[in-house]
Amino acid sequence: MDSLIARADAIQPYKKRKTSHIPAKSGPSKPKKSDQTSNSVAKHTKVPKSLQDTHELPEDGYKHIANKKLRTHLNRQSARGARAQALVEDAEMLLMDDAGGMQVESEMDRTWRVGQTEIVQSTGQEAAKGRREYKLDSGPYRSRYTRNGRHLAIVGRTGHVSTFDWQTGTVHAELQLQETCRDITFLQDQSFFAVAQKKYVFIYDRDGVEIHCLKAHIEPTRLEFLPYHWLLATIGNPGYLKYQDTSTGQLLIEHRTKLGACNAMTQNLHNAVIHLGHQNGCVTLWTPNLPHPAVQLLAHLGPVVSVSVDPSQGGRYMATAGRDGTVKVWDCRNWKGAVREWTVRGGGDPELDWSARGYLSVASSGTVNVYNPPSIHTPFNAKTAPPLYMTHPIPHRPLTSVRFAPFQDILTVGHAAGLSSVLVPGSGEPNFDSREADPFENTKARGEREVKSLLDKIQPDLITLDPEMVGNLAPPSKLTVTTFDGKPAVEVPYARLPRIERLRVSGKIDETEDNSGDEGGVNGEEGKKLSKEEREKRKTRGKGKSLKRYLRKQRKNVIDPAAVAIRAKLEKQKEEKKRAAAAAVAESGENKKPSALDRFKRTK
Amino acid sequence: MVKISVLQHDPSAHLPVRPGDPTPISRNLNPLMHPFSRARERTRALNAAKMDRMFAKPFVASLEGHIDAVEVLCRRPGSLTDMASGSWDGGIILHNLSTRKQILKVPQAHKGKASGLCFSPDGERLLSCGVDRNVKLWAVGGDNASTSTPLNVFPGKAAFNSIDHHRTEPLFATASNTVQIWDETKSAPVSNLTFPTSTETINSVRFNMSESSVLASIGSDRTFTLYDIRTGKAERRVVMQMQSNAISWSPTFPTTILLASEDHNLYTFDIRHLESPTQIYKAHVAAVMSCDWSPTGLEFVSGGWDRTVRIWQEGRGRAPEVYHTKRMQRVTSSIFSADARFVLSGSDDGNVRIWKAKASEKLGVITARERAAIEYRNTLKERWRVDSEVDRVARFVIFVVPCHRVFLHDVISSTRHLPKSVHQTAKLKTTMLEARRVKDERRRKHSRLGESKPKPERKKVVIAEQT
Repeated sequence: MDSLIARADAIQPYKKRKTSHIPAKSGPSKPKKSDQTSNSVAKHTKVPKSLQDTHELPEDGYKHIANKKLRTHLNRQSARGARAQALVEDAEMLLMDDAGGMQVESEMDRTWRVGQTEIVQSTGQEAAKGRREYKLDSGPYRSRYTRNGRHLAIVGRTGHVSTFDWQTGTVHAELQLQETCRDITFLQDQSFFAVAQKKYVFIYDRDGVEIHCLKAHIEPTRLEFLPYHWLLATIGNPGYLKYQDTSTGQLLIEHRTKLGACNAMTQNLHNAVIHLGHQNGCVTLWTPNLPHPAVQLLAHLGPVVSVSVDPSQGGRYMATAGRDGTVKVWDCRNWKGAVREWTVRGGGDPELDWSARGYLSVASSGTVNVYNPPSIHTPFNAKTAPPLYMTHPIPHRPLTSVRFAPFQDILTVGHAAGLSSVLVPGSGEPNFDSREADPFENTKARGEREVKSLLDKIQPDLITLDPEMVGNLAPPSKLTVTTFDGKPAVEVPYARLPRIERLRVSGKIDETEDNSGDEGGVNGEEGKKLSKEEREKRKTRGKGKSLKRYLRKQRKNVIDPAAVAIRAKLEKQKEEKKRAAAAAVAESGENKKPSALDRFKRTK
Repeated sequence: MVKISVLQHDPSAHLPVRPGDPTPISRNLNPLMHPFSRARERTRALNAAKMDRMFAKPFVASLEGHIDAVEVLCRRPGSLTDMASGSWDGGIILHNLSTRKQILKVPQAHKGKASGLCFSPDGERLLSCGVDRNVKLWAVGGDNASTSTPLNVFPGKAAFNSIDHHRTEPLFATASNTVQIWDETKSAPVSNLTFPTSTETINSVRFNMSESSVLASIGSDRTFTLYDIRTGKAERRVVMQMQSNAISWSPTFPTTILLASEDHNLYTFDIRHLESPTQIYKAHVAAVMSCDWSPTGLEFVSGGWDRTVRIWQEGRGRAPEVYHTKRMQRVTSSIFSADARFVLSGSDDGNVRIWKAKASEKLGVITARERAAIEYRNTLKERWRVDSEVDRVARFVIFVVPCHRVFLHDVISSTRHLPKSVHQTAKLKTTMLEARRVKDERRRKHSRLGESKPKPERKKVVIAEQT
């Protein structure tokens, strides 16, 4: 058949083809590296598999994998990943808008000296629209933006609720609820909002029609909506953290915090963990699937009044404010002490919010202070405030809420006489992603986004401190394989092992004594079956020597320097004895003729 | 002096210029802008896997017309729709798959069973052979398709089992007790091909498609033989453990041949290395009666005595797609359609059934956006296959028996609903194979070290290779 195929000028037999390749390989040709250009071209100029040159794949990282198919697959995957990474880096050119900011030109200038009037004058008319004063008389106000930053929901303490498109000035709903309202939040977008009222949480639709009364949420104080999980999280005076699934309507879970009424709540946008600040100064981090806080830390010496998480660093930093007037910045990866802390002037309950680019606003007594990123994240020992970026006095005390508008340089401060929007140059993320949140979307796009995000709804079980947990390999088992005296191997956590086993697993056990002990044990076991005379005959001599007795009585699992020394000494003595015996034999045996009977002699 | 710039979005850049224009899309690929991207992608993958199962409705249609088992199916070269079937009642029908009508029907083409069918390379003529010792040539092209008399009849000496046409020349090969090569213009065989020592009955013959003079046959004495019609000799013969029922040459790898064996397995061989198969395909629970490659060479279909049709990935020896219906009996013939989108099966109940090759594929016009979405979903499924939840939805095996050999798992029942008989047989088969394995292992354990080594599955298949 080989000859047939060769004659017919068809495919060469497999063996021949292989041999022809070998000399080419042994030559000085260098292994080809992955070429970015060829990778980018390869996507569009795909050749049939049979024509592909397999040598083009980068074979650096997976040389250790024996399975050829798997190796090729992994190589291809990594090439594809590298290509995608390169494309993402290229795509940064496409970002259209630049972030705002304030830059000093001389050493002596300070950005905080610039007032709102100056900022408004120096910017364009469109941007200046962000500076507004809403004069309202229903008590201190709280506010909340939609995720695209286009719509604003405000709620007054005495029951005035309003949602509106703040750019065009279109009012969606205006309600006078005539009871205490403590917080408001939009759900997935502007079409629904939830209000924490005197007794329960109520959900209204865009036009202000009451849709639901959530009677399970009693005396709520703060609301948070987790947009990717479609969960409404509430906390109230009874101190229960409750998660309501707004897509199915089911009350997912309620956690008893056991820390009493709670007035500070925020979410980490990057891992959907809820941060609560309690009356006793504790800050607790919650996920739906843990019945206890994932993290609990004593942050302040009085009640915690405000918590905020920095979205700019992937949720790495958290800021807390206490009634004692201190503000602390924490690193969420390392809870040992605050990164920096300072005391605000004038006391009162400081309110905090962190902008998308990492600007921290602190509203207390009569001013709003804004601090900018590199300085608030850097550890600092002295308890002084970081360099101020911007400050703005507001005469209407108390200041009850601060919110940065997403994708805008705007900070909205709620206070006793309504709300004021302040321009904070540089605080807003300039480039939005239309797939996530688009300030310019029309009604059709809104509907489509709603459907798509419902389809992509993440199950609440997946909320963990580490959001990258999904799709990672499971961590290696923490169980230790060990055998207990001849029984089959079992998997037991290391901590549950007996001490001797733990020493054995960690390789620290004193093996020498074990052996001597084993010998004794074996003898003893056999002794039961042997007759008395036999036992007498086989009795180990010299067991009663004081040194050996001492050694025997030592604890087996402890390495004691004295015992070690004695053992060494005994060994040495043994060696010497042996040597002496050997010498004696040699002396006596030198003159003897070797005999055939020698083979029956007992060997020593 | 302080330089101040405040962010402002230019509405003209983000709003459509004229009403009706699409809204401009802006992207920011910074990962911080896309929280939970991995978790969301996993949800999408899970949804994709679920949708795949929801829309998995593979059965398309059933073509009637025969009154006995459909013995052979063959597709017309150069046509996506035309396909001929021959039956045990001696009838031949030429079907059109798109209109589901019969182009030509010859009820009594042969006395007894019509055992083989093949088209000439141009698709104008149809050759059929039967157990009545005749090969008949029918004109099926164009207008004269209505003839009920053959163009030519080639009388033979023994009952024919199979027929195949040469790729280019007007030659065809028949299988009876020998392999005979015929010229379309001559009424007697041009040559007889036989292996010197064989006394077999040939079950099937197939010409290689690229090396068109090479011919493969399988016989009832468990052999598989390769001939060359230029030398007129049998070049090589392989004796196997069990008899094969069907053969098929790969359309893309000319040296690869697929055998459907009586021992419930399918084998691919590289004809350059006949000492062992390149892959064993295990899932059928009864003899495999027919097999055919997809024109892409990436998949093949097999029909079995266990009343199932299975679609295999080339090189993946387990967990094929399984198709079955309540009224489908033993599947005696199965082929892929020329566009690799459909699978046809002919069974003992006299029906030819059309199945989708991809169970959840949408038929009909698919827009570009839909196509992109489908491709995205497929990529997601592939990428998240390692996730246990996604895998649970998409996978074939419902539970894995804690056993050391991987190949035994596939015999165990699958998440797909299988007829009870198939399920029970699969269970029984697993038990038997497992018992055999255990017995072997015990025997090995109690024999002297190194005396009996376990024989690899692949080495067990071929008994002897003869030249």
